[in-house]
Amino acid sequence: MSQVLPRHSKTIEEGTSLGKDAWLRLKKNKLAMASLYFIILISLACLLFPLLPGFPDPNKTYLELKSQGPLTTAQTSSGEKVFYLLGSDHLGHDIYSRIIHGGRVSLTVGLIATAVSLTIGLIYGAVSGFIGGRTDAVMMRIVDILYALPFMIIVIILTTYFGNKLWLLFVCIGAVEWLTMARIVRSQVQSLTKQEFIEAARSLGLSKWRIIYRHLIPNTLGPVIVYTTLTVPAVMRLEAILSFLGLGVQPPNASWGSLIKEGADRMASDPYLLIFPAIVFGLTLFALNFLGDGLRDALDPKSSKD
Amino acid sequence: MFEGKKQSGSGSQSGLYRVQSQSVQGTVGLQAVPGRDSRREKSLLRPLLSRLLVFFLLAILLTGCGRRERKVDRATKDGILLLGNGAEPKALDPHLVSSVGDSNILRAMFEGLVTYHPSDDSKNEPGVAERWESNPDATEWTFYLRKDAKWSNGDPVTAHDFVYSFGRLLHPEMGGPYTSMLYILKNAAKYNKGEIKSMDQVGVRAEGDHLLHCTLENPAPFFPDVVKHTTFLPVHKATIEKYGSMTDHFTKWQVPGNSVSNGAFKLTKWRINGYVQVDKNPHYWDAENVKLNAIRFFPMDNAFTEERAFRNGLLHVTYVTPSSLIGRYRKMENTPLRAETYSGTYFYRFNTTRELSGNIHFRRALSAAIDRQRIVEFVTAGGQQPAYGFTPPSEGGYQPPDRVAFDPEAAREHLRKAGFESGADVPKFVLFINTSESHKDIAVAIQDMWKTHLGIDGIEIQNQEWKVYQKTIQDLNYDVARAGWIGDYVDPDTFLSLFTTNNTNNSTGWSNPDYDRKMVEASRLFKVEERYAKLQEAEDILLDELPITPLYWYTSVYLIDPGVKNWHPLLLNNHPYKHIELRAN
Repeated sequence: MSQVLPRHSKTIEEGTSLGKDAWLRLKKNKLAMASLYFIILISLACLLFPLLPGFPDPNKTYLELKSQGPLTTAQTSSGEKVFYLLGSDHLGHDIYSRIIHGGRVSLTVGLIATAVSLTIGLIYGAVSGFIGGRTDAVMMRIVDILYALPFMIIVIILTTYFGNKLWLLFVCIGAVEWLTMARIVRSQVQSLTKQEFIEAARSLGLSKWRIIYRHLIPNTLGPVIVYTTLTVPAVMRLEAILSFLGLGVQPPNASWGSLIKEGADRMASDPYLLIFPAIVFGLTLFALNFLGDGLRDALDPKSSKD
Repeated sequence: MFEGKKQSGSGSQSGLYRVQSQSVQGTVGLQAVPGRDSRREKSLLRPLLSRLLVFFLLAILLTGCGRRERKVDRATKDGILLLGNGAEPKALDPHLVSSVGDSNILRAMFEGLVTYHPSDDSKNEPGVAERWESNPDATEWTFYLRKDAKWSNGDPVTAHDFVYSFGRLLHPEMGGPYTSMLYILKNAAKYNKGEIKSMDQVGVRAEGDHLLHCTLENPAPFFPDVVKHTTFLPVHKATIEKYGSMTDHFTKWQVPGNSVSNGAFKLTKWRINGYVQVDKNPHYWDAENVKLNAIRFFPMDNAFTEERAFRNGLLHVTYVTPSSLIGRYRKMENTPLRAETYSGTYFYRFNTTRELSGNIHFRRALSAAIDRQRIVEFVTAGGQQPAYGFTPPSEGGYQPPDRVAFDPEAAREHLRKAGFESGADVPKFVLFINTSESHKDIAVAIQDMWKTHLGIDGIEIQNQEWKVYQKTIQDLNYDVARAGWIGDYVDPDTFLSLFTTNNTNNSTGWSNPDYDRKMVEASRLFKVEERYAKLQEAEDILLDELPITPLYWYTSVYLIDPGVKNWHPLLLNNHPYKHIELRAN
């Protein structure tokens, strides 16, 4: 801090907040910005397209129109004309519509599960790091123990025990994904606690909870945001794996994971069933990872201000 | 792709090897490219790149070595039959299983009084019994046991072993899933329910070591066919009681090393989710005519995985074939695909003890809204027949009444009678299936039919792993559930007796005194035509009240390696493994 002080100049530099600084830096990173736009685009598409009139029902089966290739118009036995933008699967489902609807599930899983893991991890890490001592040791050993358990198995046990409910799946995934978050927050909090502004807060007589809530957590936000953007794809991948194992979404509903599973089974006969969902899912994961990378650079206080 | 991998001749293998060595040269050539264009940033990458390339070359060479002999070819030479077998077995105890896959393994390990003929299910082969005879009205049966039958530990198989086994399954505390098969014996049902205290009054008795006497509740000319079933297999008393009491479930007696059986094979390995292996039993009375050295049963509940395993030479015979690939296999020359009439019915159970599915009009509505023709044509696509009754028409000349049909108009009418103005008023219910692609596809198609024709929207499909699913069904913990029934012997009785009140596999909660009475009356009739007419009357009641709705009659569609000999099409698909031979072409 003391090195910064001599830079005082007569013209008062307009103060920029951390957020604004980071935004400016992020804007320079083209890959991260492109990723951001892509994520916004795909989220809007998944959210709004199904509301459009005439959008095909993802669960409507046309058994006689199975395995139609992309861009085909086919006629049902009752004379109805059906257009398949990205082809149809083995039951005559519209793949395009299923990808969009599946995106709703996959993106919601990403959001909710990450929110759950964020909440648990943030509170757990902050408390552990701030109180320190024996409490900290015990809390962190618990995290170590949970780390040692294979988390796939925990999710499988939780879903089989509580039944296959979609919202439960979201919570389950979140409940096993908070460990790393807790560790990151704890280490941040530990270093922050020793700094002067916390001493100041303490000497002013603020309660522990208020210090955690008002001063510590906001100061850990940088790394937390970054880690969150990395958790979203991890969680979506986990949902994909679970759907792949038949523990995720229940038929006839689809998620990107279940679509890829079905496509993989029919890879030899109808490759487009695998290719389209895989492209969308892959691009989304890439975008989230690039955005996370970009945010890390942007939010890193050590990177130069100019 | 398909053909190349299928042929096991040495010519195609050396061809494969040549192609690989070419690709090896190709990659070496590629390696030089980044070297020529040596920019400074790339130089860091180069050691990594070359290491990767070496790794790739090694990988290609190693897999090349592995490909030279496929697993099935090796197994054919060693006399080991590799079979896909559906789900992981629930148990290897003849008294605790009810699935086809489990009974396949037990059929290899144990031998009953009578066994299956290798090419005709209506014929009987002598098993432990050399011969058998009955009194004129087929209620008293005597089995003459062979003197050289032995257990896999060398103990002789005696008539007492059979009495003990029947007594074990019928014991009131045993609770086996298939107990009602034995109700054909006099007083068996009463003993099982505790109305009679002693096993002595049940119609089975040993006279000396080699004579078994059975007295039946009703005349049954098909009794020798019935005793082929897994529930009539003998178990080894000393072994069972060494590891627990007689009625304990899942004790250590059924694990390799402990298990003692009397069939052509004995259990040697059981790796959970790996395989179950049975080896030739040297103490088997007919061991010199057993051609295989061992059989491995692989649990594979994903049809696509199984098909890939077959294509990659890991299985001799598959359990099923994914319907989307049937067309491709049909077009192949010398296709490994077999599609054979199979005595079985695919149906949906309704839980009649629940308010919604207990409503007869509601069941009729659901049943009439299913277009079975479209399901067999587009979803299962393996030559299955849409069912118009419950009993398949292949059962010894019996014709089921033609009552079940697709009629959306009538379906909507039934729905109104059930008290629902439209499908939207129907409360949410769950359709249970066990984990399998084809069950899922059928469920999704039917769910959509119910939505289209009846407007019912709140149907949730839930899949459960086989063991969990079986418990759900038996505990009546469902609304609608998928089911399949494969005949245990060639007679309509094996299908229709399923829904009598006492049957342990009824699992619908349905009970109709008229139906029960007609079934009993039918079993007392000796003339085939009269008996069949009575059974038709019974089936008529069943199809009117619809505790189940039949969907289609099975065909068994599987892939088989040409090295498997003596594997004939069978109506019940119970291949006697002792006759099967492996010979490379």
